[in-house]
Formats: sequence, structure tokens, C-alpha cells
Amino acid sequence: MTTATSTQLPPSTHEFADIIHRLEAGGSMLPDNPENLKQIIGIYKAYAVPMDFYWRDLLYIAQEVFLEPLDFFKYFLPKEYLELHNHYAGDDADLRIWRGEATVHPELLAFMEKGELNQKIPRLFHHLFHDRINMEFAEACMRSMLWHGRDMGWGKFDAYLDSDEYKANADAAIKAYFQGNPAMLGLYKLFPEMFLEQVRQLSYYSNLGLFWEVMAPVFFEMSDLYDEGNLTTVPEAMNFLVNGIFAIAGRPIYHHAHIRGKVYEIIPKSKGFTWLYEAALPYVEAVFYRTAPFRGTKSYNAQAKQVPDEQKDFHYGILYADVFPVGTAGIPPTLLMQDMLHFLPPYLVDYYRQYCRGEDDMLIQLGITFQRSMYCVTSAVIQALRTALLYPLDDPNPKHLMANRRFFESQLDRFKRPEARLRDIQSQDYR
Amino acid sequence: MPDIVDIAVSNDSFKTLVAAVQAANLVETLKSPGPFTVFAPTDAAFAKLPPGTIQTLLQNIPQLARILTYHVVPGKLMQADLGKLDSVTSVEGSPISLDCSSGFEVKNATVVAADVEADNGVIHVIDTVILMG
Repeated sequence: MTTATSTQLPPSTHEFADIIHRLEAGGSMLPDNPENLKQIIGIYKAYAVPMDFYWRDLLYIAQEVFLEPLDFFKYFLPKEYLELHNHYAGDDADLRIWRGEATVHPELLAFMEKGELNQKIPRLFHHLFHDRINMEFAEACMRSMLWHGRDMGWGKFDAYLDSDEYKANADAAIKAYFQGNPAMLGLYKLFPEMFLEQVRQLSYYSNLGLFWEVMAPVFFEMSDLYDEGNLTTVPEAMNFLVNGIFAIAGRPIYHHAHIRGKVYEIIPKSKGFTWLYEAALPYVEAVFYRTAPFRGTKSYNAQAKQVPDEQKDFHYGILYADVFPVGTAGIPPTLLMQDMLHFLPPYLVDYYRQYCRGEDDMLIQLGITFQRSMYCVTSAVIQALRTALLYPLDDPNPKHLMANRRFFESQLDRFKRPEARLRDIQSQDYR
Repeated sequence: MPDIVDIAVSNDSFKTLVAAVQAANLVETLKSPGPFTVFAPTDAAFAKLPPGTIQTLLQNIPQLARILTYHVVPGKLMQADLGKLDSVTSVEGSPISLDCSSGFEVKNATVVAADVEADNGVIHVIDTVILMG
């Protein structure tokens, strides 16, 4: 993009100076080479298919399952939600990002029907054989946002959940939902906070569902562009994400519950909550950076002091995760890796066969690919923030360029800690 | 003296802003006595936003109104007043940082015409749409 930067500013003295100079030149934290591009695009495709299930089911739970106390069937998507039109795909899109269909992705539908068993048996049996999409992963991400929500500066969503207006909206929905059910209504009278907190969690179901409704078509479109030969470098991939972030930034984030044919606006669209501020940025912070310590790698023992006291110091997101124990007990991302395994494009399967233990450790290889791809997504977020809050990369004013540099440096400071995988992804040998 | 809306309408470089203010139903507010300080992005400033951004906002009026109210500060604050401050709080609720050390900068935007006085406040014309955060 620009080479002016290097001549206008002295070299950075940051530990990751090379990466900062790359970002200043319009690049990504992930090095630009065809191998990295193939990996990240292939994994976006493999991620987008289960994501098409996640967002539909998250919205189904937030809107329809709602406070069902015996929610055994919350992962059984009804037809309406499989046919629900994605707002950013298909002919009737608000803003068409993916040129494909607005209804459920055909590969996902095929998997839901036949599964790994490759047999058409009732969905309940697929579920009981655990031959299914691991929806628990999506719920873990949602809970991460819920739990870190109050601690993060981004957005006004979480603060609203404590307002009297929200409580009144939730109260109306709770009473409508349990109408004619004196047992639950009595419980609600005794323990109102218990139900209110459940509704708050459901609002986060809605939030994350609306967030992923955007990301799935973005990833599908990137995969199609790559297949057509129209996406040829890592910075191009990153810039597609940056443009996607801006295009959708103003989409409303809301929570509607559908109770007996009536819509209850628990968080109305008119509150002005936006996709960028109330969903995307909190999601990146909560899921990419923080999440919760893996039960299989950290001790929660209070005396051992392995887990930080402050939530802001949590560093267990995908950007820090140790992917090698994927597939063993106590490593939550395994759920996602297993989901993505079903939808890998053939070129990635061939690629993994050539390395390490071939098909035997494909789950780990694809996990590391996923980590690379999320460094590219995080780079897009950093560049989008720089575009929104700071200055163009080719700004002629050196003071502005210095402000950009300080921003990049402060972002990369978060990867100084030894757990961060930024160093590892610089080399192709990390796989 | 004309009010803030009249000035924007009569000037050819605020076509996008005027259309957005009308879409967001903020005309009445900005015609009220106020007073307000408005950081008004030019058409060129809106054109710098990536494609799709404006389209999505025009489809979602409360979200558009939120971005627009971030460009408005209560009270009539001239450049000389703003020069003494590090930041002001917008009508949207989020802070806007100011830098008058060299030139007149509002967050990441540069003021290209300061102190355009109106009946119900003052307009400072900026070259970039400012965003919360």
C-alpha cells in the first residue's frame, strides 16, 4: 500500500517491530504467503458451515425456546429456522455479502440429515450418538461474553441489561411466557433475579446469533472469491474483512422473544445498539483474547494463583491457546475443531495429509490453521479500529503516523506474554 | 440568523449529512433553540467510509441517529472554548477528544472551517466522520 511510512518515521523499537512495520504497510499479523492464504481461507469455509448452524440455533433459543425449563430439544432446529433468511445472503438480502442462498447451507443440511454415520436415521439418534454439531461451543462463547460483559469498556449493551427499562421488558416477557403456569409464576415471585439473569443470558444468545449471522456469509464469500482466483494475498483477505466490518457496523443488535404469536421486544432495535460496538468488539475481546482458563491446562485452585484475579488479565482466547492438546479432556476448542473437521475443503485435507501425522492428527493441524486465521481476523479488527479512530496509512502528517504506530504498538503489547502465539504463527513450521 | 439546519442545507458540501439528518428525524431537534455545537462532516468525509456503511445505517434509523448525535455537543462552544479542553461529551454519551495544539483537530478529524455561527449554536466543519470508541 504505502512505503512512505518507513521513510517518514524512524523504525519501531518494539519487540514486534517487524510486525508493526507490516501493519503500517497495510499488512496483517499473519505473514503473507500462498500457504497461509490457502490455510486461512480453507478454514473460514470449514468454520462458516457450523457457524450457519450456530447463529440459527442461538436465535432460535433466544427467541423461541426462551425460558423453557426442560430445554432438551433446544439443539433441534425447526424448519422455520433452517429456512430463516440470512440478512446478508440471497436475493432479498439487506446488503448482499455472499452471493449464495439465504437459507441453511446445503452441506450443513446434508450433515444434519446423515451425519458422520452417513445414514438417514431420526435426528434424535444422531444426537444421542453425538453425531452432530457441537452447539455447546457456541454457548461457551456466549457465556464468555456474558461473564466478561460487565468488565469490558466496549458498547452499552451490558449496562442496558441492568436498567429498569430492561427489567420491565423482561418482566413482561417472563409473565407472558409462564402465563397459566402457577408453579413457575410462583417461583418467579420468590426468586425474580434468577429468572431475570436467565433472560440476560438469552439476550446474549441473541447478541452472538446476530453477530455470527454476519460472519458466516462473509466467510462463505471469501471462500468463493478464493476459489474463483479473486483473492490472492493475505492482506486482500484481511481487507475484505475490514470492509465487511464497516459495511455491517450499523446493523441493529436486539433481543425479541416470540411468545404465543406475540413479539416481546426485550431489547428493541430502537435502542440504537449496533453490530460493531455491541457485538463485534465485545466478542473479539471476550472470545479471542479472554474466555476462561481451560479446565485441562490450568488449576482453579485459589492458593495456586494460576488464574488471574482480574478479568482483564484473562488470556485464554484462541490467540493464546495451546492447540496441541486438542482432542484430550478439558480443552474446550476441541468441540469446534471437531465441527470444522466435517466441512474441510478437499485442498486442506490433502494439505494436512502431507504433514505431521497426516490424517491422525488432523484435528490439531486444523486447530493451528484456525489460530492463524483468527490472527488474520484480529488484524482486520485492529486495522478497522485504526481506520475508524485514527488515520489512513498513507497520511502525510508524521504526527498522525506516529499516533497510528502507538496504536499498533499498544495492540501488540498484548502479545508480549509468553502464552501468545504471535511468534509461532510467523513460521510455517508451526503446525 | 439562520439555524444549524438552514446553514447545512444552503451549503453544497453537506448533501450526505443533510440527507442523513432528515432520514434520522433529527431536523426538528437541530432546529430547536439548543444551543448545540455540531461537528459537521462534509460529503468528502462521508465518501471516505468504506462501501455499504451508509447503506446499512440508512436502513437502520436509530443506529444512524446514534452516529449522528455523536457529532453533536450540547452548548455553543467556539474554537477558543474547545482549545481549553481535552475532550467534550457528545449528545450520544461518548467522549470526543480534542487537540488544538497545532491546528484544530477533533478526534481523528481536522476542522477545515471553524466557528460557523448559527442562530442556535455553532458548526465546525470536519474532514472525517468521527466514530465512538
